[in-house]
Amino acid sequence: MNAKIDAKDVRRNFTTKSGEVEALGPFTMQIEEGEFVCIVGPSGCGKSTMLRVVGGLLNPSSGSVRIRHDGPESQAVSIVFQDYSIYAWKTVEANIRLGLDIAKVPREEANERVERWLRRMGLWDFRKAYPQTLSGGMRQRVSLARALVVEPDILLMDEPFAALDAQMRAVMQEELLAICQAEKRTVLFVTHSLDEAILLADRVFVMSARPGRLLAGYDVPFERPRTPDLRGTEQFAHLENEIWTLLRNEVNRDLTNVAADGRSKKLEAIS
Amino acid sequence: MSIETSTPAASRARTGTGQASAGVIERVPGPAERDAKAYRRRGQLSDNLLRWGTPILVLVLWQLFAMAKILDPQFWPSPGAVAQSLVENVSSGYLIDQLQVSMLRFFAGWGAGALFGLVLGAVLGTFRPARMAIEPLVSAVFTVPKLALFPLMLLLFGLGEMPKIILIALTVFVVVTISTATAIVAIPEGMKEPLRSAHATRWQTFRHLTFPMVLPEIFVSLRITTGMGVLVLVAVEMVQGASGLGYVIWSSWQVYDVERMYVGIITMSLAGVALQYLVMWVGRLVMPWRTAGKRTA
Repeated sequence: MNAKIDAKDVRRNFTTKSGEVEALGPFTMQIEEGEFVCIVGPSGCGKSTMLRVVGGLLNPSSGSVRIRHDGPESQAVSIVFQDYSIYAWKTVEANIRLGLDIAKVPREEANERVERWLRRMGLWDFRKAYPQTLSGGMRQRVSLARALVVEPDILLMDEPFAALDAQMRAVMQEELLAICQAEKRTVLFVTHSLDEAILLADRVFVMSARPGRLLAGYDVPFERPRTPDLRGTEQFAHLENEIWTLLRNEVNRDLTNVAADGRSKKLEAIS
Repeated sequence: MSIETSTPAASRARTGTGQASAGVIERVPGPAERDAKAYRRRGQLSDNLLRWGTPILVLVLWQLFAMAKILDPQFWPSPGAVAQSLVENVSSGYLIDQLQVSMLRFFAGWGAGALFGLVLGAVLGTFRPARMAIEPLVSAVFTVPKLALFPLMLLLFGLGEMPKIILIALTVFVVVTISTATAIVAIPEGMKEPLRSAHATRWQTFRHLTFPMVLPEIFVSLRITTGMGVLVLVAVEMVQGASGLGYVIWSSWQVYDVERMYVGIITMSLAGVALQYLVMWVGRLVMPWRTAGKRTA
């Protein structure tokens, strides 16, 4: 196999009190080494579930994901979560160090790597601060640094900027572009923002409404290094429009599904 | 006692991740996904085996040790002998009567204490001046060992049921007050803002936000206070009066009826377990949102 990440017919069901729910799939995709892939899809389509399967947080109900990786498994994937998941009782520095401490990286090397990422993320002056005292953007930077400091083969990002305000999001997107251009890394990035997906990705995968399948993959034709100015180009708008046309159907379909679900629940209750 | 109330073993994902071949990490269905039903069944079976097997094993070992005369029957009568005494005391009606007396005392004291605790806790949590004025007092009462007050209670309320019930109530009251007040104070400002912007009155805020939000903490304190209440109940029954399970245990010791002593202890502890389950069950009933939509696997 040649792909870095090779997902085949991945499905995932969840058991809820009202029965079995198909959340995902069958979903098939290949991601090449060094590629930046964004997954977009209507809400609830299972894109985060897919990311969690790739990250090993959740097993697939059926199907498989194969990840090509040499070296210790602890360096295979790092995940950046939407809600930061950084620990309130650890300082910025200690939070970033977490992965290194767990992997038992020697102290000196760990210090050096933590310092590098602190400076790179503009967190050096805040290294002794507790997360509670930081803004959302700062906290997400800590979370990003914590994921990157272990130098993972694959970076998984689950709507990492969704909770940020528009300006902060733009700044973070720019920083992520810079980081990815400096050191090529395989990235799987889940987002609901088409604009974000097109700006960052080499390829954009569009998922269907629940249970999410791969509807289409779009190559993003822009050369790197990219800057956010791309947004102003006609090509960008054209691609965004093309993807949105496809996605809109799915969003609508999802809304009708939800309505239908609601109806059938009521019917159950009556009968 | 189940700390974890709603997750069977099946939901703890066992990973299907494995090193398939050199340089490849595989994410594949694990045992929980390949056959969800069988996995869940196995999980439940293992839960149940551990839940019921452990006490049974203890009893069996105890019986064997007693039969082998490793344990001195003067202090450690065999489970069989205790069971026999249990049957005798139940069929004579004695044990049931004493259990009933104890439970009435318990519910009167615990109920009153919880009720007053809720009210005072709500007041302290809501009104800052009240908190400033009364909290130190509550803290002081909290630290006093309630049993030390029993002679005073006897002095004030005579020898009847009152002093016992009041002492249990006092124990429960202080803990529930502190829990409730602390939980209310800890409600984040952001949660109150939708109500403030809608110009809700204090009562409306209490009804729509404060009360439901602190219910989980209240139920934790209710569960903890069942244990504390039983402790005080048994102690006061041992010290004064001639009824209740505490008295059964104490008088059995005095007349050297070791089997009946164990019967009293076991009945008391079973009652304590039942009370805690009762609290948890009521908690689930009044807080349906806490268990709603939980994924079970």
